[in-house]
Amino acid sequence: MTRHPLLALLAAAAVVLTGCTAKDHDDDSAAPRPGTLRVLASSELSDMTAVFDRVRKDTGVTVRPTYMGTLDAVDLLARGKADGRYDALWLSSDDYLRLRPEAAKKVVSETSIMTSPVAIGVRTATAKALGWKPDAVTWSRIEQAVVAGRLSYGMTDPARSNSGFATLISVASALSGAQSALTDADVAKATPQLKEFFKGQKLTSGSSGWLASAYQRRGDVDALLNYESVLKGIPGLTVIRPSDGVVTADYPFSSLAGTSAATREDVREVTEDLRGAAVQKLITDTTRRRPVVASVPPAAGLDTTRRRELPFPGSRSVADGLISAYENELRRPSRTVYVLDTSGSMDGDRLNRLKKALTDLTGDFRDREEVTLMPFGSAVKSVRTHVVEPADPKAGLAAIRKDTEALTADGNTAIYTSLEKAYDQLGSGEDTFTSIVLMTDGENTTGDKAGDFDGFYRELSTDRQRIPVFPILFGDSSRAELQHIATLTGGRLFDARQGSLDGAFEEIRGYQ
Amino acid sequence: MLLIGGVVAAVVAGRQGDDKGTATKTVRGVIGSEKSDFFADPDVVKALAAKGYTVKTEASGSWAMEDLDLKGYDFAFPSSSAPADTLAGKYHARQPLPRPFYSPLVVVAHRSAAEVLAANGLAVLDGGGKGILKMGAYLDAAEHDRTWQQLKGAKAHGELTGTLFITSTDPETSNSGALYLAAASYVANGGRVVASGADVARTTPLLRKLVSVQGAQQPSSDAVFRDFISGAGNPLVCLYESQVVSLLAEQHSADDLVVLYPDTTVNSDHTVVPLDDAGRALGELLSTDPALRKLAVRHGFRPQGDSAEFVQATADRAAHLNQTLTGVRQAPVPTSAVLHEMARRARG
Repeated sequence: MTRHPLLALLAAAAVVLTGCTAKDHDDDSAAPRPGTLRVLASSELSDMTAVFDRVRKDTGVTVRPTYMGTLDAVDLLARGKADGRYDALWLSSDDYLRLRPEAAKKVVSETSIMTSPVAIGVRTATAKALGWKPDAVTWSRIEQAVVAGRLSYGMTDPARSNSGFATLISVASALSGAQSALTDADVAKATPQLKEFFKGQKLTSGSSGWLASAYQRRGDVDALLNYESVLKGIPGLTVIRPSDGVVTADYPFSSLAGTSAATREDVREVTEDLRGAAVQKLITDTTRRRPVVASVPPAAGLDTTRRRELPFPGSRSVADGLISAYENELRRPSRTVYVLDTSGSMDGDRLNRLKKALTDLTGDFRDREEVTLMPFGSAVKSVRTHVVEPADPKAGLAAIRKDTEALTADGNTAIYTSLEKAYDQLGSGEDTFTSIVLMTDGENTTGDKAGDFDGFYRELSTDRQRIPVFPILFGDSSRAELQHIATLTGGRLFDARQGSLDGAFEEIRGYQ
Repeated sequence: MLLIGGVVAAVVAGRQGDDKGTATKTVRGVIGSEKSDFFADPDVVKALAAKGYTVKTEASGSWAMEDLDLKGYDFAFPSSSAPADTLAGKYHARQPLPRPFYSPLVVVAHRSAAEVLAANGLAVLDGGGKGILKMGAYLDAAEHDRTWQQLKGAKAHGELTGTLFITSTDPETSNSGALYLAAASYVANGGRVVASGADVARTTPLLRKLVSVQGAQQPSSDAVFRDFISGAGNPLVCLYESQVVSLLAEQHSADDLVVLYPDTTVNSDHTVVPLDDAGRALGELLSTDPALRKLAVRHGFRPQGDSAEFVQATADRAAHLNQTLTGVRQAPVPTSAVLHEMARRARG
């Protein structure tokens, strides 16, 4: 029983780092192959490696997952971009998918494999200090602890990750006092309380894996909101399913329209194996999810007392309205410095791609967001800050686009000196999610060196050390150099060489 | 609509791999998914082979079969008589259609929920594991948005909060969800089957309530069943009795499970629509062959005509099963067209 769940999770996260950034679908590894199922999967399923190995042994079929946030995956299906590229779909839930008919019609059959409810994992010492008994903690009590300044937490971005979305629905249902499926009126009614609740969120993430590692690294966050299975894998947490209700993921393994009969037969065989008693036991023992066959009991340590199941909204307007309220109104705003390489080597196509990526991104910036553009060559060329004001969001966005259009390429590449400037620019930012995005197409050629930056970073206040850098690998930049920056600052490396620059910028949104 | 491509592809592939050199006759059919386990059971395969048949099946939603092109198939096997009748008309299949087995719609409940319903006059429990759900009282509660908190005895169970409702599948795509509306509408229409536009209009507000309160609905009865087993989801779930019978065979301890039979329910009539002589012969065989009837019971179905077989085979599960359906009235199911319209309006 010497299981190291966190290590497994982190290892899985590392795989995701290189494996999923806006993956280029034209490479050979994505081509169809008999006996291999290309599965578009929720990112937290990266903890299923042992199960995939077992399934291969049992059936001879290899499951090859591509991890993606649930809502991004649904969007991909709806736009027809998954056609011919994936053989099956395995999301934490198909509830949101069914609200989008263009996506739902791509799914032929679905089979639930396992379940995991939303829960809160609290540092055991904090739970004690709050006097919490796991059976008697409600969402309202969690909110009260936040309001009293006694609890902070991290969760994933509901607009990208189903664990975040399910958490948001749970909180909104419970705090609004809704007696049945959420309506727009319920959300409006609960908005003041939800605002208080989300003041406690100190950490956001596009994936469960990075959330866990950021939580470990920071040490100043008291709790995480996520699926029970994810929380059970992080040492030192008391995992509580709030007694006034949860939303549960049921992980339907789904076959896709347009696949061949042989593929559908492979899906059927894999599904049957996953539902067999032996694999169900392996699933619950190794991933702490709950089995869906009566002959296999849940793994030891999974509390089986019942919880009310909070209904998932039945209409897209409620679901999307809730996400929009969260992004634009409820959560802390984000504050980001974009450190952009506009050295001479960026001239031409590369600069055009950067401009297009940034321009596209303006469609995604949220109300209240603060965006600083810091282009650099031999030194930082300019520092321009814009805020997306809720009263007139278009003005801020137009200004960002205008500055983007004016970018020109010249000079050398002063990565570290420019990064230091970005840290100088940002205060400690208590009420925002603060981060730095570094995009460069080459290695550092002038100004401070890596060692200088390490020294600079070590001298920063603890608050500022918590500001992560999310570097984007592009053009001829050095993976080692950028990975070092990400590791040092607690960020994450994104690879735009495997995929597109647009895709990398877009994926980082989940972390801002 | 989607299934068309898949089904045709499967048939083409199946033809290429035809069983050469065996004496059995290959019969192809489209079946409701709840019968997949039955046809996949090695003992069923053996029993069919003993009678000279190899049966190849492809699963489809019973209500989606009407939109499929069934050319090249020998039979369709939906889980309800209404789509079967529509299909029989479309493909000129001779009536009466073979109905080898059936299964009534039931509501599974966690013990705590069942006891609260009983204490408030919404159900009558019979011993430990079974009871009768009073549909009139339940629909009245639904109409008035009654919550668990308003029922006496619910306070002792933390999970019993929020509006009282039964979870069903999406009635537009799934048979069990549609049959749930059929049963409810029969009661709401004063004990008459919904047949006219006026009947539909009269019952729509209530049906809409039964559906909208649930929020997002699952696409298949297997999905809601699995949630229930894993301890997630609503404490009251509408299922086929056949699913419960199988569960009881598998589960070691069912102390927490109460099977409520609605006092007015509908049967899922597993009806064979023969598309040619081979299909009809298979339908007759499933109806009459003692070995196959016995195997149907193993999968929880009630063979047509003789309740003794079912009673005897499920004797070990009698605590949870109303074996003779005492006190349970079978409501007729509206026609396909009416049921489709009801489901569409209920989903709003």
